[in-house]
Amino acid sequence: MKISILFGTESGNSEMAAEDLAASLADTYETEIRDLAEVSPEDLREDALYVFVCSTYGEGELPNSALPFYTALSQTRPDLTGVHYAIFGLGDSFYTETFGHGSLKLDAQLKDLGAHRAGDFGRHDASTWEPVGEVAVAWFEDVLSSLQVNSNAA
Amino acid sequence: MQPNPAIAIVGSGPAGCYLAQTLRRSMPDAEITMFDRLASPFGLVRYGVAPDHQGTKSIQAQFARLFERDNVRFAGNVEVGSKLSLDALRDTHHVVVLATGLARDRALRVPGESLSGVYGAGQFTRTMNTHPHENPTLPLLGDTVAIIGGGNVSLDVVRLLIKSPADFDGSDVNDPAVEAYAESPVREIDLICRSSADAAPFDPSMLAELGRIPGVQFASEGQTLSGANTSSATQSALEGLRSSEPDGPPRVRVRIHFNSTTTRIAGKDRVEGVEIRLPDGSLHVIEARSVITAVGFDFDPSDPLLGEMGANSDTGLLAEGLYRTGWAKRGSRGTIPENRQCAKAVAAEILKYLAATQSSAPKAGYSGLPDATLRHVIDFEGWLRVDAAERAAAPPNRSRKKFADHSWMVATAHENIDGQTTSAAQRRHVKEQS
Ligand SMILES: Cc1cc2nc3c(=O)[nH]c(=O)nc-3n(C[C@H](O)[C@H](O)[C@H](O)COP(=O)(O)OP(=O)(O)OC[C@H]3O[C@@H](n4cnc5c(N)ncnc54)[C@H](O)[C@@H]3O)c2cc1C
Ligand SMILES: Cc1cc2nc3c(=O)[nH]c(=O)nc-3n(C[C@H](O)[C@H](O)[C@H](O)COP(=O)(O)O)c2cc1C
Repeated sequence: MKISILFGTESGNSEMAAEDLAASLADTYETEIRDLAEVSPEDLREDALYVFVCSTYGEGELPNSALPFYTALSQTRPDLTGVHYAIFGLGDSFYTETFGHGSLKLDAQLKDLGAHRAGDFGRHDASTWEPVGEVAVAWFEDVLSSLQVNSNAA
Repeated sequence: MQPNPAIAIVGSGPAGCYLAQTLRRSMPDAEITMFDRLASPFGLVRYGVAPDHQGTKSIQAQFARLFERDNVRFAGNVEVGSKLSLDALRDTHHVVVLATGLARDRALRVPGESLSGVYGAGQFTRTMNTHPHENPTLPLLGDTVAIIGGGNVSLDVVRLLIKSPADFDGSDVNDPAVEAYAESPVREIDLICRSSADAAPFDPSMLAELGRIPGVQFASEGQTLSGANTSSATQSALEGLRSSEPDGPPRVRVRIHFNSTTTRIAGKDRVEGVEIRLPDGSLHVIEARSVITAVGFDFDPSDPLLGEMGANSDTGLLAEGLYRTGWAKRGSRGTIPENRQCAKAVAAEILKYLAATQSSAPKAGYSGLPDATLRHVIDFEGWLRVDAAERAAAPPNRSRKKFADHSWMVATAHENIDGQTTSAAQRRHVKEQS
């Protein structure tokens, strides 16, 4: 399985988390990192696992660099049945009402278009000062083991 | 392409850090050194961003990577333009980039501005962040304060003034300043904003945050709307503020005046009020014992590096091999992420320049600097000792305790790692603590 890590960022934390995640997987999987600004929905394939790592800006919006991808999803509404993804949202609980809403919106949109989410929605809260890379790597181990459990059950 | 060029970045705030990040990605073998006049890196992330916004300050972890992993050198305690000349830096490095920010509060350019009792928001937020070159405590502000400016920095000032010491849990605020201020806090704040509520550059979530502080009463005035859009996030945040009634009598009242242009600061020897003009042309004087201006930051004519130079939105180029980025390039506009975009553009200019200069003479880089400079440098290890000492000194409800004394920072940074030689300065401060 190829793992494609797609990040959406404004201040660079998501890119850093994506790099840490890729480094932790590089020995075991074929991995790539891409900026969501350079990805379009047509690029999504059925034979890869897409890992979205994305922050939140404005009043619970996606970061600017991820907006074109999200807008394209909403406007062209491609059928994403058979596409597998995991998603990790960076945010700050200081924004009490919109904590992580940008990536939650992306998650809802992907699901709505038929894509299948692996594992739980991951979260990082900037106010905790926890190292975002470590949190992302730990979260993704759970995602991978949930995939393992599912494929064993099948 | 110049093989392994030597690059000096002056200033270790967001602008310098994002530039180093971008350059490192394209040049894994370049020698990159980031200088700062302070013993600590990160610029306004440490000394501007409000001490109660720890989530925003946590971007330091991303920038620290540069020094921990990406082989970028931190050279703190080096002021370029005084301790080390710009020429010496340019002689030894292929590229020098000024990322020195803008520290000077912009003038309002109205009569009365030089009266005593008029302060800048930069000054105020540096004190609250314990900047070693700023006054360690706030001036006596009196009962009534007018804050001029419609941006997020003016909301930072309002919020820091209306909080009581208990509202700073988890922060790294300057406690001696907060405690002294708490003995005679401000009772009335008038926030004066030139634009309408809809057009004000306030971040709505920062307006809403004010409403979560207990004991404050809010009002707003003069808000003819700029458009039909009455349901903007700013409007609903304002609604929220106006309807948040304190339980008892309010500790402090905050009035926000929209569409109000400051025309004069009134007073004989010191501030007595602020004169504003409303859209109908009428003039009103708002009583105030002091004024804090929050209208941005400006180039400082006495700065040996940038002097009276203005902003430039096109290029970062200043002279051959000399560039600028961040606030020093664009002026004091924009949040931390905008410096990342700016860094990408300036890095592209630098890479193009380096690609075109194949055969220039080799340069000695960092190790070619005068011994007198190198001897005083604080490296990243040194900064980590300051960082650890500050965290260790934090009271239970604070994330760290900063020390206002730069010589304490320098002494702590130069400390032996095995801790055998606790400096006199540190012992003194530890004593003050207990
Ligand atoms: C009060 C305040 C609050 C803010 N809050 C936020 C916020 O919450 N969120 C947000 O996104 N943005 C915030 N900003 C904006 C943000 O801080 C800026 O966008 C950013 O810091 C600009 O980066 P810079 O690197 O250009 O300048 P700076 O951060 O100012 O860095 C300049 C560095 O250069 C060093 N330096 C200066 N002169 C010399 C010299 N001669 N030799 C050596 N070193 C030198 C300084 O010590 C400093 O470390 C705030 C700004 C202020 C003023
Ligand atoms: C202007 C601004 C608005 C933000 N709005 C939100 C928000 O609504 N909800 C949230 O959870 N986080 C919000 N954040 C926090 C960021 O998502 C968080 O800092 C994250 O780590 C940034 O990741 P990035 O560097 O990849 O962009 C905001 C940050 C800023 C600077």
